[in-house]
Amino acid sequence: MRKILQTLILCLILVIPFSVQVRAADAVSINSLIENAKAMDGKEVSVQGEAIGEMLERGEYCWVNLNDGTNAIGIWMKTADARSITRYGDYKNTGDTVKITGVFYRACAQHGGEADIHGTSLQIVKKGVSSVYPVSSGKLLTAVLLTVLAGCLFTVYYRISRKPRPVP
Amino acid sequence: MKINRNTVGSLEIISYYTGYIVLCMAVLTLIPIITSLIFAEWNPLLDFIISMAITVLVGLGLVLCGWRTRLQKANIQWKHGFVVAALSWLILMVLCGIPTFLSGNVGSMLDACFDVMSGFTTTGLVLTQNLDHLSSGLNMWRHMLTFIGGQGMVVLALTVMVKGTNGAYKLYVGEAKDIELVPNVKGTARLIWKISMVYLLIGTAALWLNGVLIGLSPVPALLHALYIFESAWSTGGFAPMTQNIMYYHSVSYETVAMVIFIIGSFNFGLHYAIWQGKRKELVKNIETQSFFITSFLACMLAVYGLEKLHVYPNTVSFFRRVVFNVLSAHTTTGFGSIYARQFALEWGDFGILIMIIAMLIGGSACSTAGGFKGLRVGIVFKGLLMDVKKLLCSERNVKAYKFHYMKDHILDDSLVRSSATIIICYMALFSAGTLLGTFYGYPLASSAFEAASATGNVGLSVGVTAPGTPAGLKIYYIIAMYLGRLEFLSVFALFGYVAGGVKKLCVKSFRH
Repeated sequence: MRKILQTLILCLILVIPFSVQVRAADAVSINSLIENAKAMDGKEVSVQGEAIGEMLERGEYCWVNLNDGTNAIGIWMKTADARSITRYGDYKNTGDTVKITGVFYRACAQHGGEADIHGTSLQIVKKGVSSVYPVSSGKLLTAVLLTVLAGCLFTVYYRISRKPRPVP
Repeated sequence: MKINRNTVGSLEIISYYTGYIVLCMAVLTLIPIITSLIFAEWNPLLDFIISMAITVLVGLGLVLCGWRTRLQKANIQWKHGFVVAALSWLILMVLCGIPTFLSGNVGSMLDACFDVMSGFTTTGLVLTQNLDHLSSGLNMWRHMLTFIGGQGMVVLALTVMVKGTNGAYKLYVGEAKDIELVPNVKGTARLIWKISMVYLLIGTAALWLNGVLIGLSPVPALLHALYIFESAWSTGGFAPMTQNIMYYHSVSYETVAMVIFIIGSFNFGLHYAIWQGKRKELVKNIETQSFFITSFLACMLAVYGLEKLHVYPNTVSFFRRVVFNVLSAHTTTGFGSIYARQFALEWGDFGILIMIIAMLIGGSACSTAGGFKGLRVGIVFKGLLMDVKKLLCSERNVKAYKFHYMKDHILDDSLVRSSATIIICYMALFSAGTLLGTFYGYPLASSAFEAASATGNVGLSVGVTAPGTPAGLKIYYIIAMYLGRLEFLSVFALFGYVAGGVKKLCVKSFRH
């Protein structure tokens, strides 16, 4: 029994750090890819982030730009796959959160030396939503007050500038 | 008593013209206001209304304080011109930072001021966060500031001035521009804007068409085209997306932008000469000669250095990643076709050094570019040749040495000395920035790269400039960008004027 317990504890000690490593490798941050570009060059990686801007279609393939909060990177992938992304991030939208697996290239020979990922699979993790910005009442009040003040001062300026100049 | 009256007069003159320039900027806030209205962005709209109202209040206040200047048609002296230029840039930095601060996309007012100064000075270093979700109004504002900064705010004020101003030339020179395209300054200022607006139409159309072809939708393509043109023409470096020029993944888009920023880095006098059919000026001009030689050498050396390190796999990669970035640095644009950290991690010390030299040299005098300018490099180099030739020639042999810059000029010692002085000032500013960077714990190469970028108004970064950068370094970069853009004299005049005023006040209070 004691041996079984010892074996179990040993297994747990070995498994816990290993599982953390697997999870880390599962979705790497874009900044860590750039920081370790030489080591990661040509390796299969997964990145997860928000699709931003819009899809840049180039025939059968397209570019999707992904921002994971640390940085943004271009994903070269099949246009048909990219069509499953329905919302891209901009001022009025939070784009779909997608997880893309593909091969990372530090200086892609096909794309003029760009650091990019050639995506092979795409998974929509979270659907994007339209961003709502409630109008701030404090800002509204400040804007009105300052506009009235500026208007008053402009009236003073206008009256002074209309006055005939004194003869020197 | 007489001294006191003169002092008041100077203050009034400075106040009046500074207020006038501030008011011009207030009127221009209408552009992002209209943009926010078109795209129904209500919070940014309020931010711009607040900013405009405050700018109007400050501008009108300054104009009214100096009202006697208008009534008495006071003459502007050189010191007034320099102080007005330097002071209006400082005041507008704070006022134009208001919408950026209110947007919530910057961590503090200091960051907002940093971004505005970066825009005005056409540097392009960015502290604004979450660029990919920025409102169209704020993007329009950022890129408009860099476009106006490139031409100059004083130039803008002189363009719209209803009546000619006594001593307008002194205001114009205060903003580090001295070329006279036509005999009167107002005409010159208008020509500068005319040249820029013609290129704006052509460049935006070219980028829009290209944008649509590479997959952008028509409306975003138009906005991106306008932003990238404004940034490229002004050798600014701002872009609407986090990835900068890499967002487009297009060699054609990068090439069009590159052509625009190279043209933008040329002297307005050269543009005007070519418009008038004097195409030989492009070849004869000391500045273009200097630019082509130094940019060719920098590109060749960088390509050779990086080829040795096997950083890029093929010729296209070298063109898009090395030539593009070196020219972006040399013209002081700051568009980056690689990630900031890739400079530090992949380019090696040699590559970084080439970039630093290119950034410090910069573009042409009286253009939108920064750096200590090709003209000064050319003059100092010719001056050196002149000295060597003098040493080798007989003492009886007296020869006048010339250089061509719009017209033939005699190369004399005073000209070489003044050019060398400005270069020394830039080098001192760069060295102090490097020193400060290392003081804050950044590696030497990174500190030098970032200091050169701020001093030369470039905008490329190795990752030192970030929201978490120490406030002291941010403030230093603001000062470096400001001094570098106004080429020291105006700012020194402002400091001198303030110091003189303080001294007089101290003496006066001491006597009482």
